Amino acid sequence: MKKIWFGMSVLALVAAGSLLPAEAAHYDLKNMTPAVQNAITERQDRYSELQSLKSSGAVGENNHGYVEVFSGNAGVQSVAAAENRDRKIIYQTIADQNNLGPSGFAVVETIFGEVQRDKAGAGEPIQTPDGTWIKK
Amino acid sequence: MIKIIWRTTAAGLLSLGLAGCTVKAVGDPNRPITINANVIVDIRSLKQTATSIEDLVAQGGKK
Repeated sequence: MKKIWFGMSVLALVAAGSLLPAEAAHYDLKNMTPAVQNAITERQDRYSELQSLKSSGAVGENNHGYVEVFSGNAGVQSVAAAENRDRKIIYQTIADQNNLGPSGFAVVETIFGEVQRDKAGAGEPIQTPDGTWIKK
Repeated sequence: MIKIIWRTTAAGLLSLGLAGCTVKAVGDPNRPITINANVIVDIRSLKQTATSIEDLVAQGGKK
């Protein structure tokens, strides 16, 4: 009888252990690659210009972590395209370095979009999670 | 009889164990995100990372 109880206890412990969530990793840039460093530097260089475009309402932050153009010339389009290219490098690197896969990449985009919404200034166009564009 | 108890218990616990392998996101319990098997996205951790990077961009951009 003791053997039965001992065996059941061991099985219960094993089962309980497997019910616990696996250790959640800290998602971060594990290595600052030259591509990411360059993307961050480029973003820093265009930060002021992008802020002006956001303030004027020419561009806004969508809910996938990228900027969208609402009005402006080819120069505005170019700034937005470059910004989005650099952001994608950062997002993809985080997903890759943390082995998140394609689904995880989408999560990374969404989380960055959320942070961009949080950081947006009053009056700047932002896209809410349900897809609606509003002025913050 | 003992064998039946053993088998039933083992099968039950094995089922529980397998059920426990379901992949779930942790962080905000109201926003569970399930992605690839064996991958758990800690949303809080990811958001901290995202915030840090955006802070870095903003601070560097205000030079």
